[in-house]
Amino acid sequence: MMVADVIFYLFATVTVLSALGVVGARNPVHSVLFLVLAFFSTAGLFVLMGAEFLAAILVMVYMGAVAILFLFVVMMLDVDFSMLRRESVRYLPMGFVVGAVMLAELGLMMAHHPGEGLHLGLDNTDNTLAIGQALYTRFLYPFEVASLILLVALIGAVALTHRERKRVHRQDISTQLARTKEDAVELRKVASGEGA
Amino acid sequence: MAEILNMVHELGEGLFGPLLWSLVWVVIKVVLLLAPVLFMVTYITLAERKVIGAMQVRPGPNRVGFFGVLQPLADAVKLIFKETILPEKADKSLFLLAPLLTLVPALLSWAVVPFSPELILADVNVGILYILAISSLGAYGIIISGWASNSRYAFLGSMRSVAQMVSYEVSMGFTLIPVILITGSLSLVDVVEQQKDWWNIIPLAPMFFIYFISVVAETNRSPFDLPEAEPELVAGFFTEYSAMSSGLFFMGEYANIVLVSFLGALVFLGGWLPPLSILDFIPGIIWLGLKAGFLMFVFLWIRATFPRYRYDQLMRLGWKVFLPVSLFWIFLTGLVLQLTRGIGGE
Amino acid sequence: MLEHYFPILVLLGAALAIGGGAMGFSYLVGPKRPYHEKLDQYECGFAPLGRIRMRFDVRFYLIAIIFIVFDIEAAFLFPWAVAFESIGLIGFIEMMLFLSVLLVGYAYVWKKGALEWE
Repeated sequence: MMVADVIFYLFATVTVLSALGVVGARNPVHSVLFLVLAFFSTAGLFVLMGAEFLAAILVMVYMGAVAILFLFVVMMLDVDFSMLRRESVRYLPMGFVVGAVMLAELGLMMAHHPGEGLHLGLDNTDNTLAIGQALYTRFLYPFEVASLILLVALIGAVALTHRERKRVHRQDISTQLARTKEDAVELRKVASGEGA
Repeated sequence: MAEILNMVHELGEGLFGPLLWSLVWVVIKVVLLLAPVLFMVTYITLAERKVIGAMQVRPGPNRVGFFGVLQPLADAVKLIFKETILPEKADKSLFLLAPLLTLVPALLSWAVVPFSPELILADVNVGILYILAISSLGAYGIIISGWASNSRYAFLGSMRSVAQMVSYEVSMGFTLIPVILITGSLSLVDVVEQQKDWWNIIPLAPMFFIYFISVVAETNRSPFDLPEAEPELVAGFFTEYSAMSSGLFFMGEYANIVLVSFLGALVFLGGWLPPLSILDFIPGIIWLGLKAGFLMFVFLWIRATFPRYRYDQLMRLGWKVFLPVSLFWIFLTGLVLQLTRGIGGE
Repeated sequence: MLEHYFPILVLLGAALAIGGGAMGFSYLVGPKRPYHEKLDQYECGFAPLGRIRMRFDVRFYLIAIIFIVFDIEAAFLFPWAVAFESIGLIGFIEMMLFLSVLLVGYAYVWKKGALEWE
């Protein structure tokens, strides 16, 4: 177990340091990349706890999708972040309050349920299977609610950002294929010297 | 085979002691995995030039070594001895990090690829999911290189490329779901063993074609190589790169091509299983190599054959054709399995 | 289980070493003759004009958001597919319900023309 301990401290240190990097980096792109590193080392910690499915999902969804969106936003929005940074000092006290409340809540939870998880009494050797068996039987209702949340996200994103574009050429495959020789080509006899 | 392995283990333990030996053994296995992978990555570049050359009725590289077999080595030497240019306006640390972030995920995915039931570096439970997760990280190398170069062509190319990759990642992931439904496991060894009677390509033929076209798009290969469309974007996201740092992008791209060919062979073409049981005497690893080699050949063949797609066509194909078809096939597979199970008696 | 993941960690180290080693070696042995024009960003031989960091088309974000939704959907599909044997008909119907709700969203996105590029 020695090796596992060393690896745990390695990943934990990287997680904490990169979390500090997220807050401390001057450039917002660097911040997001530190966040990605924090996700990656957290995935490593998940693996150490035996939660390999969650680790893979963390990498796939958070690193492979969510953080990519963040990067798109900070790279392409062209916001002057040094301005924002100066402003942000004003919110520092509020930030501390929120942080302290969250820390207290976590502490309370730990104090009341030390190391006690949700025991489902399932076979734990393959945790993808275990999650599947739990999610689609016992947690059926929250699972269906999740689909509604995703639906709202999808519709909200389109409603907020999409605008109809005028005066652009779109390819419409069905109209292209529906064109026939009869309605596309007109043959005329033009007498010589009278064509224009 | 097992006896030789035992002898090696005994010898190693005698030399290093049991604890250190287990570490050394892992290192040996990693080297034994990386050596052939890097060999294939180097030589698919030669294969590409030879195959496309033949398709265009010209010899391809034939000067360095017999038949040009030493060409990739000459290319490597040339890349190494070129100047590494660091553009003035670039974000230097990220500029150098980006090529690494392309190559490393491409090599890391190989950990769970089995070459036979025993020949696998890390037989983890979440095999297929691991490959999908790690390969989704390939986008970072591209997005970072485009941004860090601080160059217009590189930035445009990388944005296009990432949007394209994520679009096709969705359909690639969905094509693998029916396979997992049939197998009931994410381990690639189980996926292959389950294909004893029928290769997955027979019940899931449309999924195989969608998978293959998606991975062509995902690896930014022709005819989906818009991110590096020369007439408009110079070289796309690696416009500003030179020497070995651009070499790493190429290595990453080719390592991904080899990887997805192997994955396709394992998931849809029965992996190391022979097509007929009479042909059992030929070792499985040769079958796997032949199948993966065929898929790699198709990659090159496509490049020599098709003109480049337009960006709107590319997006439409991914989102409006592949996505609904693969979702429908998931439904269909589930339904058929449900019905056959009903008959079988639960 | 952890012994399965240790080789991956070693592979990560080896991959980093190969990549970093190749780049570092090339940097050491390659020539270094920098001058301003060489280090400028490439723009077909012109001096670069204007700002590089421009605002980008909002459709790129939209694609990224739609991608996240479908990625999460895939994340739900994986354990479903693995547990398919044991969750029975209810599990199948449930997932079809889940997918049909998302199909409504997909139809909306399609109808609004958010997947169109021109």
